Amino acid sequence: MFSKVFALLLVLTTGLALAQEPVQIGVITSITGRFAEFGEQHQAGVQIALEDVNAAGGINGAPVEVVWEDDTSEVNAALAAAERLVNQGIPLVMGAYSSSITNPLAQYFTRQQRPFLVFTSSDDAITRPGSEWIFRLNQPSFAYAEVLFNVFDQLNADHGDGYLETIVTIHGNGAFETAVADAVDLLAEERGYTVLDRQDYDQSGADFRPILNRFKGLEPDVVFMVSYAADSVALARQIQEVGLNAKVFAGGAAGFALPNFIEGSGPAADYVYTATMWTQEVPYPGAEELNARLTEVLGRAPSYHAAQAYAGIITAVDVLSRAASLEPADVRAALEATDMPDTVYGHIAFTDYQGYQNQARLPAVAQQVQDGEFVTVYVNGQVVNPMLDTPAWGDR
Amino acid sequence: MSYLRLGLVALAGLAWFLLLPDYRTLGINLLLLAGWATAWDLLGGWSGQTSLGHAAFVGLGAYTVAVTGTSWDLAPWWGALLAMALAALLALLWGKLTFRLRGSYFVLASIAVAEILRLVAINERELTGGAIGLFIFDLKEPFGLDLFDRGVEFWLALGYLILVLAIAAFVTRGRLGYQMRAVREDEPSAEAAGINPEAVKLWAFAISGGLTALGGCLYGIVLSALQPQPLFEIHLSVRIALVAIIGGRGTLFGPLIGAALITVAAELFRNVFAEANLLIYGALIVIVVLFAPSGLLGEVHRWTVRRRYARGARG
Amino acid sequence: MEGLVPLLQNVTGGLLIGGIYALIGVGLSLIFGVMRVINFAHGEFVAIGMYLAIALFVDLGLDPYVSLLIALPAGLLAGWLIQRVVLARLIDSPGDSTLLATLGLSLVIANALFLLFGAEPRSIYLPYATATVNLAGIRLPVAQLIAGGITLAVITALWLLLNRTEIGRAVRATAQNRLGAELVGVNTRRVHALVFGLGMALAMAAGVILAPLLFAIPTVGSSYTLKAFVVTVLGGLGSVPGAIGGGLLLGVVEFLGASYLSSGYRDAYGLFAFLIVLLFRPQGLFGRETKRV
Repeated sequence: MFSKVFALLLVLTTGLALAQEPVQIGVITSITGRFAEFGEQHQAGVQIALEDVNAAGGINGAPVEVVWEDDTSEVNAALAAAERLVNQGIPLVMGAYSSSITNPLAQYFTRQQRPFLVFTSSDDAITRPGSEWIFRLNQPSFAYAEVLFNVFDQLNADHGDGYLETIVTIHGNGAFETAVADAVDLLAEERGYTVLDRQDYDQSGADFRPILNRFKGLEPDVVFMVSYAADSVALARQIQEVGLNAKVFAGGAAGFALPNFIEGSGPAADYVYTATMWTQEVPYPGAEELNARLTEVLGRAPSYHAAQAYAGIITAVDVLSRAASLEPADVRAALEATDMPDTVYGHIAFTDYQGYQNQARLPAVAQQVQDGEFVTVYVNGQVVNPMLDTPAWGDR
Repeated sequence: MSYLRLGLVALAGLAWFLLLPDYRTLGINLLLLAGWATAWDLLGGWSGQTSLGHAAFVGLGAYTVAVTGTSWDLAPWWGALLAMALAALLALLWGKLTFRLRGSYFVLASIAVAEILRLVAINERELTGGAIGLFIFDLKEPFGLDLFDRGVEFWLALGYLILVLAIAAFVTRGRLGYQMRAVREDEPSAEAAGINPEAVKLWAFAISGGLTALGGCLYGIVLSALQPQPLFEIHLSVRIALVAIIGGRGTLFGPLIGAALITVAAELFRNVFAEANLLIYGALIVIVVLFAPSGLLGEVHRWTVRRRYARGARG
Repeated sequence: MEGLVPLLQNVTGGLLIGGIYALIGVGLSLIFGVMRVINFAHGEFVAIGMYLAIALFVDLGLDPYVSLLIALPAGLLAGWLIQRVVLARLIDSPGDSTLLATLGLSLVIANALFLLFGAEPRSIYLPYATATVNLAGIRLPVAQLIAGGITLAVITALWLLLNRTEIGRAVRATAQNRLGAELVGVNTRRVHALVFGLGMALAMAAGVILAPLLFAIPTVGSSYTLKAFVVTVLGGLGSVPGAIGGGLLLGVVEFLGASYLSSGYRDAYGLFAFLIVLLFRPQGLFGRETKRV
């Protein structure tokens, strides 16, 4: 009897010894607190990515494991978590959602000389100037404005020059919204548009009608809005109430690209152009399938943040399986040499351009809300679906 | 006696440094929060003026070091001195305006002033970098110390806390301390006894603000990327005040105990209870307020005093 | 003439949103006036109202204006319980302990909402919510008109309760002098519980009305708490009619400020007004009493 148990134990232990030690990837994100909405999306993306990479044999045969660190939407907790991950010798850490958290994290990893993969935070300053240790696969905030200006240029080409000339901007006063609004100013000057007025607002839950009334007097061609989810719906509804007409309503990402923007705004959301970073209609392999799986895990339509988390994990796994060792310098070298042409998030490779350093150069996507649905209209410099003219409120 | 306890605090800091090398950032957070809460207590506990606006001083300190260090190329210790002077000045102005208000009115005014300062930090982009903020990439190194090393920062934070505790001990033991308590207990009687309540409160506020800003300087260096949103927010003001009150206002070591308890508990809850951590944190505050209304250390004091009296009565 | 219609548009818009601010502020002011408690969880009560309306709408298809009939008694009961379990124990504690308890409560509520409903923003879409009535060139949103009507009805009911009933007499007596009221046989413990319940019911009613107008996120409460403070201080802490005036005034000031001045400092206008009133007219803009607290 005793010998049987002993034999069993022996088999078990040798079996365990044969299975390789798992390779760990650190993920710092906001699972609780005010950014938890995005943490949920990240968890779904990471979960599916882990299923995929482990089914495909992990990292050179070793299973992949994620070490979650909840930053509770606060920078102090994020920095404490980063220190722990670094001291535990986790070879590659990814994070975090808000730029108020990611910026200090990037400073920390740079000083520790450890590689840090940013997969969802879009503040330009993270990779511009950036550092040799900071890599970002998602599009910087400039891209949100840029793709919409491409749409404006396209509309001008279709309707004849002078169709769109004037812009008004309304944005929240957070770092991201301000950065996109700055990009609007810059791009307008570069491409010959006039910004008539630019207004920001403080907390969410604000009443936008006074600002919209003010815009109404200016009769702009384009109303450019940058705000988070709660405010995007209020904006759309109040634009209808106030009766502010324009040829183009453009939402610079964040709130406008989420499914509940349409749910909450109803018909007021129609014809609004939004910039987004990823949709199931992007021309990359497996996009539709990933979208379906994310929908199943989340129980609702995913936002692009989930796809970014998915892309982050598969990039990290690709990097770690190519790295000569799990030492920081080798992981960094492998990150630099990344070249993944056919991922579901597009061609991931880190380059230096326009003052950015180690920044993946991916285009954003423009959608238009048509008949209560997001329709992808502009990807990679091409119109993929017709863009509809915005009728005046009286004619809807 | 309390200087002996200061030595114990230093020893505990040393032990933390040696035994918990993975938790230095957490330690820095704890020490800074304890320092701020102790500084807050000079005004909020000893002088009885509850402020929910002390984040303004933290933000002022952090931004002063960042602006002077990057735009003016000034060494951080000069930046810190300037920050303390500015904070004391701000406190004098702020106090001069609002000390005529009592109780709840003063609390509300402190929130309003801090909120206005937050809006200034967001809107005055030339100076503060606006919403996008400021970055500290490089600083002059005092005595060859790398200020961005977590170990160095830990020692600086420990030094900061001990400095604040020593100043608080010195102030509260001295003449000013008695005057502060007299004003807190009964302002008209204090005035009748020849104390100028406004002057006493202004002194307390200026010292409190200056010391808070000094910790803010160090916090700015730890973050190295400053944005108005987390620095000037009311949440930080609230946390500073709560920590002091939970630990025991008007006691020298209460704020430190409160900070240690809250920081460690938040970290434990974060890992153990995951999604419910803030909920438990809130419930904890309610429980402490209900069952230990003078703060943890305050309750201990009350209990020992009562026992001493009981023993005296029996003997 | 050119600028008159936009001006009137802004003034009416300000009055309509100000009505909701008033509804939130009245509860806070009532609680302070009677109990001397600064309720830091007041904005979270508004958030509870929003989520209640959303849950009833999603699960039972109940129109939010109907769910008001559930929200008011539910708020009364919940407020009564909170007062009995938490605040009643603190009645003779040092000044700030109730403030702290309500602060803790606000954290508990916000995070309980997060656990129950998740972090994603939620809202109710009513087809008639974006419809407008055109009155001599001034557009009046239907949803806000309904909100204004309900606000008026609720506040009138409160006024009647406070001024025309025996309960109201007890409440007013307790506000003026708790000890004196007790001496003449008022059960002030029950009055406190009732008042806190009323305050919570009013805040939840405001939340229900706001649900079709705005989005709810679990942390939405804190901005309403701040707004409510501004409103009550403008009108004089503890004064119910003052809070109504303060709410309307804040709505109009915000609208005109954002429309004709820069919107970046919009919230600062309210806060400046708040500070100036605090410093120079602590009894509020409309108050007559010269001494309080």
